[in-house]
Order: sequence, then structure tokens, then C-alpha cells
Amino acid sequence: MTFDLRTFIGESFDGRKQNVEDLLRSMDELKIDMALVCPFRPLSYNLHEANLSLAGVIAKHADRLLGAVRIDPWQPDAPKILQRGVEEHGCRALFLNPWEEHFRADTPRLDPLLQRLNTYHIPLIITTGYPWLSEALQVCSLALQWPEIPIVMTNGGQINISGLGQADATLALHKAPNLYIETAGVYRQDFLEETLQMFGPGRILYGSGVPYFDQRYELLRAKYLKATREQINAILGENTLKLLGLGRSIPN
Amino acid sequence: MIIDSHTHVDEVEAWGWTDPPEAIISLMDEAQIEKAVIMTYRDADRPGDPATMYIRSAVQKYPERLIGYVRINPHGPGALDALDEAIGVFRMKGLKLHPVSYLGFPYEEATLRLMRRAAEYHAPVLFHTGDEAFALPEQVAEAARRCPEATVIMAHLGGYAHFEAVLALADELPNVLVDTSAIPYPWVIRQAVDAFGPERVLYASDGPGCLPALEVEKVRLAGLTKHEENLVYFENINRILLGVQHDI
Repeated sequence: MTFDLRTFIGESFDGRKQNVEDLLRSMDELKIDMALVCPFRPLSYNLHEANLSLAGVIAKHADRLLGAVRIDPWQPDAPKILQRGVEEHGCRALFLNPWEEHFRADTPRLDPLLQRLNTYHIPLIITTGYPWLSEALQVCSLALQWPEIPIVMTNGGQINISGLGQADATLALHKAPNLYIETAGVYRQDFLEETLQMFGPGRILYGSGVPYFDQRYELLRAKYLKATREQINAILGENTLKLLGLGRSIPN
Repeated sequence: MIIDSHTHVDEVEAWGWTDPPEAIISLMDEAQIEKAVIMTYRDADRPGDPATMYIRSAVQKYPERLIGYVRINPHGPGALDALDEAIGVFRMKGLKLHPVSYLGFPYEEATLRLMRRAAEYHAPVLFHTGDEAFALPEQVAEAARRCPEATVIMAHLGGYAHFEAVLALADELPNVLVDTSAIPYPWVIRQAVDAFGPERVLYASDGPGCLPALEVEKVRLAGLTKHEENLVYFENINRILLGVQHDI
């Protein structure tokens, strides 16, 4: 079972785009069974439209795709948007992008939103590693405030080509047991393997971030880990199935 | 045939990075890489520096597999002498500069002085190039601009978010080449070959932190022709290394 934790459908303000046919074709070629799909931030900057559009696509491919609701916490109705995303559209995660929505990962502005999220027992996926806004220890601060919410740091909790983000990401995992890392773009294979040794396979989730990253290459990254078959299976999909609570109904 | 143009051997307790030469040799075997250019994580600052001696020892132990570059802090009291010792006496093949580790602007005089000396040996200057201050492509480019006689290799193709800045330099700076290590985007390698030409792109892994076998796969996913792959995997770095002159 291979589950890609982070993919995108639609068209971003920055020109990147991916339609559902291309995503499913790539998943078929790579034998990826399921994927969680996030909306891009569209050129209109209207995430509500992007969420609605995504929900329509997901509904037609519910056997392969699950949706994440993307929210701009500066919008005053953020908790209501989350409620609608989860209860009406069946979204299985909250996706936050501090870099594109311009907020600090540990800003109190998130409190109403996360109070609501806390009632659903579904994870938060947050783009991590962006300077000033979502460094690993900032996301760690958020995780410590909300210990019952599983929080996934994308990109291994770091975007640093010198390898100097590793220590903070590891410290964050030590401090907050509700933190997980996603594998997209983690060029240091030794970081993933050391994380595996320190924390076991349960804290690592395969995600590609396609089309920001190459889904083929990101899958190889997970498969090339020096780990047991059982550990790789956990990372490739079993952990994500548990985290998203598949088979479990969501309270409303 | 593959030569890995950027790998590391060193033991730095402070950073928790312990990579003896056997670590990279094992990963080279796994990836069917014949030879690798090695450098330390530490910067040497004088002749006889332990960092340089570590590389010398590793190359002496595995002369058929490992090729040494000396990594130097340009502000060190004996930086120039360290370079002369490494290339002139120990017959190392290049200079590695990591401005983030020694906190120096790439285009300042101490660095340019080292680059000029490396150029006298026809030895390449491999710059860590990425998303951080001191190593931005624009900063490394200024060094290459001020020292056109040096062969400058920009590692990592500019990192996560600065590859477009690297690609934009191709026409202006003919003395700049790029290496493929660490950057997580196979399609940028294709773009680099188109922008720089296949003769100016070098396969590199930045192993053992990055997995050489996986880095080899990344280049395969770039969609290069067989001719381009041969240049990138082997011929380009081989040409550069053969051009180094140790007696000047």
C-alpha cells in the first residue's frame, strides 16, 4: 500500500498546475494506491473557491484521492471553512502554508482554527522549513500548544541545502511526540535514516509534494532508505492510513 | 563509468557527522561509482592542517578510488600556503569553498586571492551554492566575474529556490560549471544541460549524507541523451582533473 501524503491539483498563482488525470496517470505508473490532495493557492487568492473545486474533483475519485482543506488563518471565518471542509466535503486533513499565506507557524491567530481541528482528530499538514515563518522549532512550538493534534512537517522539517536544518528538526521531534515528518525534498538520506533509528518508522511519512517535486524521484527517496521491508511499508503508506483515520468516522 | 565530483570524508564531532573514507567507498560500490572527489566538512587554515591531512590520508589509503580537494577558510593565517601545499605537494586536484562555514563573502579579496592561485594550477574551485546568505548564486557569481581565470563549480545548482538564478548565469560566465548534487529537482538538471551545455554540468552526490545511488537515479530521471549522460557522469570532471598542473 503506497499513499502519497501530499499532492496538489489545480493551478497555482505561481503558474504551477496539475490536473487530476495527470496525477492519476502518474500514480498508476508508480503503483501509488492513494493520495491526499491539497489545493494550490490560485491566482484569485480565493482559497474558498479552490477548496470547493477540489472537493468536486475528489468526489469523483474517492477510491484513490482524499482531500485536505486549505485555509488562510487571516480570514475571520477560518473555523467555519474547516467545519465545512471536514463535515460537508469529507476532508481528512487541514493544510496550512505559512509561506504563501504569510503567517508565523506559531501565531495565536491559529488558535480558533486549531480548537476546531482538535475536535476532529485529523492531522494538520504544515509546510515547514521556510525562513522566518515555519522553521522546525516554530512548528514545534505550535505542536506543544496542541499536543493532541498530529502535525506533519513537510520537507523533513527543513529546507536547507547545507544540512544545517537537521538538528532543529530532530530537536522538534524529540520535544513534541505529536510531530511527524514528510519526506518530500529531503535530500539528506542520512537524516531520514537517523530519524528512523531514533524515533522508529512511525514518525516518517512518504509524501511527494508533486508538482513542486518529482513524484518519481520522491518515491525512490523512500524506497532507497536503508530499512527493513516492514519499516518501508510503514513509511510508504501504513502510517498515513492510520494518521488520516481511514475507516474511522469523524465526529461533528 | 561514473566519477562523483563532490563527496565528503571527515569526522566532526561537534556537528555529529562521522564519515570515514570507508563510508563513501561503500556507497560508491553500491552505486557502481568508480571514483569520487572527496573533501572535508572542516576548513583548513594553514599548512599541515588536520583537515587537509585527513584528505591526504584517505587518498593514500584508496588511491584508485578517491581524489582529494582541499577545503580552506580564505581568512586563515596560512590559507594560501595551505592551498600550495595541498595542490603542489600533496597533488590534490581542487579547492572547495563553503562560505557559510567560514562566514565570508565569496567576492571579497581573501577568497579571490585563493581563487587566483587555484587558477594558476588550473585547479577547479567548487563553491557551496544555495539558498543561504554568503552562498547565494548572485554572490558566487560575483566571485566568478571578478576572477574569470578560475574554473568555478557551483554546487547544488543553487539549492531549493535559487536554481533560476544559476541558470541565468550560463551565458554571461563561461568559467562557471554546475554540479547536480542535493537539489531535489531532476528537471532542473535537464534545464542546466540546455542552458550551460552538457560539457558544463557535473554529476555529484554530496555523499555520504546524500545517497550516491539515489543521486545517480536523479540524473537518469532528467531525460538526458546517452552522450549527455556520459559527459555529466564522467567525461567533464575527468577533463577538468586531467588539466590540473601541480608544478607551477
